Amino acid sequence: MDGSTEESQAWVLDENEALELLGYLITAARTQVDEAAEYGPLRLLTVAHRLADRIVPRASAGTARFVTGPLAQVPELAVPRDGRAEYVARLDELCRAVAGLLSDRWAAGPDGPR
Amino acid sequence: MGGGTGRAPVTGDDGEAVLAAIRTRRVVRSMRPEPVDRPVLEAVLDAARWAPTAGNRHLQRFVVTDDPGVLRVLRAVSPGMLQHPAAAIVVCTDRALAAGYGFPPGAPGLFVDVGTATATILLAAHALGIGAGPVTSFSHAAVSVVLGLPEGLEPELIVCLGHPAPGGPAPMRGGRRLSWRDLTTWVPPQD
Repeated sequence: MDGSTEESQAWVLDENEALELLGYLITAARTQVDEAAEYGPLRLLTVAHRLADRIVPRASAGTARFVTGPLAQVPELAVPRDGRAEYVARLDELCRAVAGLLSDRWAAGPDGPR
Repeated sequence: MGGGTGRAPVTGDDGEAVLAAIRTRRVVRSMRPEPVDRPVLEAVLDAARWAPTAGNRHLQRFVVTDDPGVLRVLRAVSPGMLQHPAAAIVVCTDRALAAGYGFPPGAPGLFVDVGTATATILLAAHALGIGAGPVTSFSHAAVSVVLGLPEGLEPELIVCLGHPAPGGPAPMRGGRRLSWRDLTTWVPPQD
Protein backbone atom coordinates (compact mmCIF):
# COMPACT_ATOMS: atom_id res chain seq x y z
CA MET A 1 0.00 0.00 0.00
CA ASP A 2 1.29 3.50 -0.72
CA GLY A 3 0.35 6.82 0.84
CA SER A 4 -2.14 7.87 -1.77
CA THR A 5 -4.93 5.41 -1.28
CA GLU A 6 -8.20 6.47 0.24
CA GLU A 7 -7.67 4.07 3.14
CA SER A 8 -4.29 5.47 4.06
CA GLN A 9 -5.69 9.00 4.27
CA ALA A 10 -8.54 8.10 6.60
CA TRP A 11 -8.73 9.98 9.90
CA VAL A 12 -7.57 7.79 12.73
CA LEU A 13 -7.89 10.34 15.57
CA ASP A 14 -10.71 12.71 16.42
CA GLU A 15 -9.98 16.13 17.91
CA ASN A 16 -10.57 15.05 21.50
CA GLU A 17 -8.19 12.14 21.13
CA ALA A 18 -5.57 14.35 19.55
CA LEU A 19 -5.94 16.93 22.31
CA GLU A 20 -5.38 14.30 24.99
CA LEU A 21 -2.10 13.37 23.34
CA LEU A 22 -1.18 17.01 22.83
CA GLY A 23 -1.73 17.68 26.52
CA TYR A 24 0.42 14.69 27.40
CA LEU A 25 3.29 15.78 25.16
CA ILE A 26 3.33 19.37 26.35
CA THR A 27 3.13 18.52 30.04
CA ALA A 28 5.64 15.70 29.67
CA ALA A 29 8.13 18.22 28.29
CA ARG A 30 7.75 20.15 31.52
CA THR A 31 7.74 17.23 33.95
CA GLN A 32 10.79 15.71 32.34
CA VAL A 33 12.85 18.74 33.37
CA ASP A 34 12.53 17.57 36.98
CA GLU A 35 12.47 13.82 36.47
CA ALA A 36 15.13 11.15 36.20
CA ALA A 37 16.64 10.89 32.75
CA GLU A 38 15.53 7.26 32.48
CA TYR A 39 11.95 8.50 32.42
CA GLY A 40 12.53 10.13 29.02
CA PRO A 41 12.16 6.98 26.91
CA LEU A 42 9.50 5.69 29.30
CA ARG A 43 7.28 8.71 28.72
CA LEU A 44 7.75 8.47 24.97
CA LEU A 45 6.83 4.79 25.00
CA THR A 46 3.77 5.56 27.08
CA VAL A 47 2.52 8.13 24.60
CA ALA A 48 3.34 5.77 21.72
CA HIS A 49 1.12 3.15 23.34
CA ARG A 50 -1.63 5.70 23.92
CA LEU A 51 -1.48 6.84 20.32
CA ALA A 52 -1.51 3.24 19.16
CA ASP A 53 -4.53 2.42 21.32
CA ARG A 54 -6.38 5.35 19.79
CA ILE A 55 -5.58 4.73 16.15
CA VAL A 56 -5.80 0.97 15.93
CA PRO A 57 -9.60 0.75 15.58
CA ARG A 58 -9.50 2.95 12.45
CA ALA A 59 -6.03 2.21 11.12
CA SER A 60 -5.18 0.19 8.05
CA ALA A 61 -4.41 -3.47 8.43
CA GLY A 62 -0.66 -2.92 8.16
CA THR A 63 -0.61 -0.24 10.84
CA ALA A 64 -2.84 -2.32 13.08
CA ARG A 65 -0.45 -5.26 12.70
CA PHE A 66 2.43 -3.05 13.78
CA VAL A 67 0.79 -1.56 16.86
CA THR A 68 -0.67 -4.87 18.03
CA GLY A 69 2.53 -6.73 17.26
CA PRO A 70 5.99 -5.19 17.64
CA LEU A 71 4.84 -2.14 19.61
CA ALA A 72 2.59 -4.08 21.96
CA GLN A 73 5.53 -6.31 22.87
CA VAL A 74 7.51 -3.41 24.33
CA PRO A 75 6.30 -2.59 27.85
CA GLU A 76 5.29 1.03 28.20
CA LEU A 77 6.97 1.27 31.61
CA ALA A 78 10.28 -0.24 30.57
CA VAL A 79 13.35 1.68 31.71
CA PRO A 80 16.96 1.19 30.67
CA ARG A 81 18.47 0.88 34.16
CA ASP A 82 18.12 -2.90 34.38
CA GLY A 83 19.70 -4.43 31.32
CA ARG A 84 20.57 -1.46 29.18
CA ALA A 85 21.87 -3.54 26.27
CA GLU A 86 18.68 -5.60 26.11
CA TYR A 87 16.60 -2.46 26.39
CA VAL A 88 18.43 -0.78 23.54
CA ALA A 89 18.23 -3.91 21.40
CA ARG A 90 14.48 -4.08 21.97
CA LEU A 91 14.00 -0.46 20.95
CA ASP A 92 16.23 -0.97 17.91
CA GLU A 93 14.02 -3.88 16.89
CA LEU A 94 10.98 -1.66 17.28
CA CYS A 95 12.66 1.03 15.19
CA ARG A 96 13.30 -1.52 12.44
CA ALA A 97 9.69 -2.60 12.56
CA VAL A 98 8.37 0.95 12.22
CA ALA A 99 10.83 1.61 9.41
CA GLY A 100 9.48 -1.44 7.64
CA LEU A 101 5.92 -0.26 8.08
CA LEU A 102 6.71 3.20 6.75
CA SER A 103 8.71 1.80 3.85
CA ASP A 104 5.84 -0.44 2.88
CA ARG A 105 3.56 2.59 2.79
CA TRP A 106 5.76 5.27 1.28
CA ALA A 107 8.99 4.05 -0.22
CA ALA A 108 9.65 2.59 -3.60
CA GLY A 109 11.00 -0.91 -3.55
CA PRO A 110 13.39 -2.48 -6.08
CA ASP A 111 10.42 -3.35 -8.27
CA GLY A 112 8.88 0.10 -8.22
CA PRO A 113 6.36 1.76 -5.93
CA ARG A 114 4.93 -0.56 -3.30
CA MET B 1 6.23 14.85 64.67
CA GLY B 2 5.51 13.13 67.93
CA GLY B 3 3.64 14.33 70.95
CA GLY B 4 1.64 11.15 71.54
CA THR B 5 -1.37 11.31 73.80
CA GLY B 6 -0.87 7.92 75.37
CA ARG B 7 -3.59 6.11 73.47
CA ALA B 8 -3.47 2.35 73.80
CA PRO B 9 -1.40 0.68 71.06
CA VAL B 10 -3.05 -1.53 68.46
CA THR B 11 -2.62 -5.15 69.52
CA GLY B 12 -3.68 -8.67 68.68
CA ASP B 13 -5.83 -9.23 65.63
CA ASP B 14 -6.07 -5.50 64.97
CA GLY B 15 -2.31 -5.25 64.83
CA GLU B 16 -2.06 -8.18 62.46
CA ALA B 17 -4.72 -6.60 60.24
CA VAL B 18 -2.71 -3.38 60.04
CA LEU B 19 0.45 -5.27 59.13
CA ALA B 20 -1.44 -7.34 56.56
CA ALA B 21 -2.77 -4.16 54.95
CA ILE B 22 0.76 -2.74 54.78
CA ARG B 23 2.12 -5.91 53.20
CA THR B 24 -0.64 -6.43 50.64
CA ARG B 25 -1.06 -2.87 49.38
CA ARG B 26 0.07 -2.36 45.79
CA VAL B 27 0.08 0.56 43.39
CA VAL B 28 -2.99 0.05 41.20
CA ARG B 29 -2.55 1.16 37.59
CA SER B 30 -5.65 -0.42 36.08
CA MET B 31 -9.09 0.61 37.31
CA ARG B 32 -12.69 -0.12 36.36
CA PRO B 33 -14.82 2.84 35.27
CA GLU B 34 -17.58 2.64 37.88
CA PRO B 35 -17.54 5.43 40.46
CA VAL B 36 -16.27 5.21 44.01
CA ASP B 37 -19.06 5.88 46.47
CA ARG B 38 -18.82 9.24 48.19
CA PRO B 39 -18.92 7.74 51.72
CA VAL B 40 -15.88 5.68 50.79
CA LEU B 41 -14.05 8.76 49.53
CA GLU B 42 -14.99 10.58 52.71
CA ALA B 43 -13.67 7.72 54.82
CA VAL B 44 -10.34 7.91 52.96
CA LEU B 45 -10.18 11.66 53.52
CA ASP B 46 -11.02 11.23 57.18
CA ALA B 47 -8.10 8.82 57.47
CA ALA B 48 -5.81 11.36 55.78
CA ARG B 49 -6.31 13.89 58.54
CA TRP B 50 -4.77 11.41 60.99
CA ALA B 51 -1.51 11.33 59.07
CA PRO B 52 1.41 12.66 61.12
CA THR B 53 2.43 16.21 60.24
CA ALA B 54 5.50 18.15 61.34
CA GLY B 55 4.65 20.10 64.44
CA ASN B 56 1.04 18.99 64.03
CA ARG B 57 0.70 21.99 61.70
CA HIS B 58 -1.49 20.37 59.04
CA LEU B 59 -0.20 22.39 56.13
CA GLN B 60 -1.62 20.00 53.54
CA ARG B 61 -5.02 20.37 51.92
CA PHE B 62 -6.88 17.79 49.89
CA VAL B 63 -8.66 18.70 46.66
CA VAL B 64 -10.94 15.92 45.46
CA THR B 65 -12.81 15.24 42.27
CA ASP B 66 -14.89 12.41 40.89
CA ASP B 67 -16.12 14.46 37.94
CA PRO B 68 -15.41 12.56 34.70
CA GLY B 69 -14.60 15.72 32.73
CA VAL B 70 -12.18 17.04 35.32
CA LEU B 71 -10.56 13.62 35.61
CA ARG B 72 -10.10 13.47 31.85
CA VAL B 73 -8.30 16.80 31.85
CA LEU B 74 -6.20 15.81 34.87
CA ARG B 75 -5.06 12.70 33.03
CA ALA B 76 -4.25 14.66 29.89
CA VAL B 77 -1.87 16.94 31.81
CA SER B 78 -0.38 14.19 33.98
CA PRO B 79 2.08 12.03 32.02
CA GLY B 80 2.53 9.77 35.02
CA MET B 81 -1.18 8.96 35.26
CA LEU B 82 -1.42 5.60 33.53
CA GLN B 83 -4.71 4.55 35.05
CA HIS B 84 -8.19 5.94 34.30
CA PRO B 85 -9.23 6.82 37.85
CA ALA B 86 -12.81 7.13 39.05
CA ALA B 87 -11.72 9.75 41.55
CA ALA B 88 -8.59 11.65 42.49
CA ILE B 89 -7.31 13.27 45.64
CA VAL B 90 -4.78 16.00 44.97
CA VAL B 91 -2.53 16.50 47.98
CA CYS B 92 -1.68 20.19 48.12
CA THR B 93 0.50 22.29 50.37
CA ASP B 94 -0.80 25.59 51.64
CA ARG B 95 2.36 27.54 50.86
CA ALA B 96 1.04 30.75 52.37
CA LEU B 97 0.31 29.02 55.64
CA ALA B 98 3.73 27.35 55.52
CA ALA B 99 5.41 30.71 54.97
CA GLY B 100 3.56 32.02 57.98
CA TYR B 101 5.31 29.37 60.08
CA GLY B 102 8.65 30.42 58.61
CA PHE B 103 9.13 27.60 56.11
CA PRO B 104 11.26 28.72 53.15
CA PRO B 105 10.03 27.62 49.71
CA GLY B 106 11.12 24.06 49.02
CA ALA B 107 11.66 23.17 52.68
CA PRO B 108 11.93 19.37 52.78
CA GLY B 109 9.64 19.03 55.78
CA LEU B 110 6.69 20.08 53.67
CA PHE B 111 7.32 17.21 51.25
CA VAL B 112 7.70 14.75 54.11
CA ASP B 113 4.19 15.66 55.20
CA VAL B 114 2.91 15.11 51.66
CA GLY B 115 4.46 11.66 51.88
CA THR B 116 2.89 10.76 55.20
CA ALA B 117 -0.51 11.95 53.98
CA THR B 118 -0.13 9.95 50.78
CA ALA B 119 0.92 6.77 52.56
CA THR B 120 -2.07 7.08 54.85
CA ILE B 121 -4.44 7.62 51.92
CA LEU B 122 -3.04 4.60 50.07
CA LEU B 123 -3.45 2.36 53.09
CA ALA B 124 -6.92 3.66 53.90
CA ALA B 125 -8.08 3.06 50.34
CA HIS B 126 -6.65 -0.45 50.44
CA ALA B 127 -8.40 -1.13 53.73
CA LEU B 128 -11.69 -0.08 52.12
CA GLY B 129 -11.17 -2.28 49.06
CA ILE B 130 -10.33 0.57 46.72
CA GLY B 131 -7.29 0.62 44.48
CA ALA B 132 -5.01 3.62 44.67
CA GLY B 133 -1.94 4.84 42.86
CA PRO B 134 0.18 7.95 43.46
CA VAL B 135 1.18 10.22 40.59
CA THR B 136 3.94 12.81 40.86
CA SER B 137 4.58 13.38 37.18
CA PHE B 138 2.15 16.12 36.25
CA SER B 139 2.26 19.76 35.31
CA HIS B 140 1.72 21.68 38.52
CA ALA B 141 0.75 24.76 36.54
CA ALA B 142 -1.81 22.88 34.46
CA VAL B 143 -3.31 21.03 37.41
CA SER B 144 -3.71 24.33 39.25
CA VAL B 145 -5.74 25.62 36.33
CA VAL B 146 -7.83 22.46 36.01
CA LEU B 147 -8.76 22.50 39.69
CA GLY B 148 -9.06 26.27 40.02
CA LEU B 149 -6.60 26.31 42.91
CA PRO B 150 -6.11 29.63 44.66
CA GLU B 151 -2.75 31.35 44.75
CA GLY B 152 -0.51 29.72 47.33
CA LEU B 153 -2.10 26.28 47.20
CA GLU B 154 0.44 24.06 45.48
CA PRO B 155 -0.53 20.66 44.08
CA GLU B 156 2.18 18.22 45.16
CA LEU B 157 0.86 14.73 44.42
CA ILE B 158 -2.22 13.09 42.93
CA VAL B 159 -3.66 9.89 44.35
CA CYS B 160 -5.77 8.07 41.77
CA LEU B 161 -8.62 6.01 43.18
CA GLY B 162 -10.83 3.37 41.62
CA HIS B 163 -11.99 -0.20 41.74
CA PRO B 164 -9.03 -2.40 40.78
CA ALA B 165 -9.19 -4.08 37.40
CA PRO B 166 -7.07 -6.95 36.14
CA GLY B 167 -4.26 -6.24 33.73
CA GLY B 168 -2.55 -2.93 33.32
CA PRO B 169 1.05 -2.15 32.48
CA ALA B 170 3.74 -4.35 33.92
CA PRO B 171 5.72 -2.87 36.82
CA MET B 172 8.78 -0.81 35.90
CA ARG B 173 11.03 -3.36 37.53
CA GLY B 174 10.48 -6.97 38.34
CA GLY B 175 12.94 -9.36 39.81
CA ARG B 176 13.81 -10.08 43.39
CA ARG B 177 11.75 -8.46 46.12
CA LEU B 178 13.93 -6.56 48.56
CA SER B 179 13.89 -7.70 52.16
CA TRP B 180 14.09 -5.37 55.10
CA ARG B 181 17.65 -6.56 55.58
CA ASP B 182 18.57 -5.27 52.12
CA LEU B 183 17.44 -1.83 53.17
CA THR B 184 18.82 -1.73 56.69
CA THR B 185 22.15 -1.00 58.31
CA TRP B 186 22.64 -1.72 61.98
CA VAL B 187 24.93 0.44 64.06
CA PRO B 188 27.08 -1.10 65.40
CA PRO B 189 27.15 -3.79 62.69
CA GLN B 190 25.39 -7.08 63.51
CA ASP B 191 26.83 -10.48 62.69
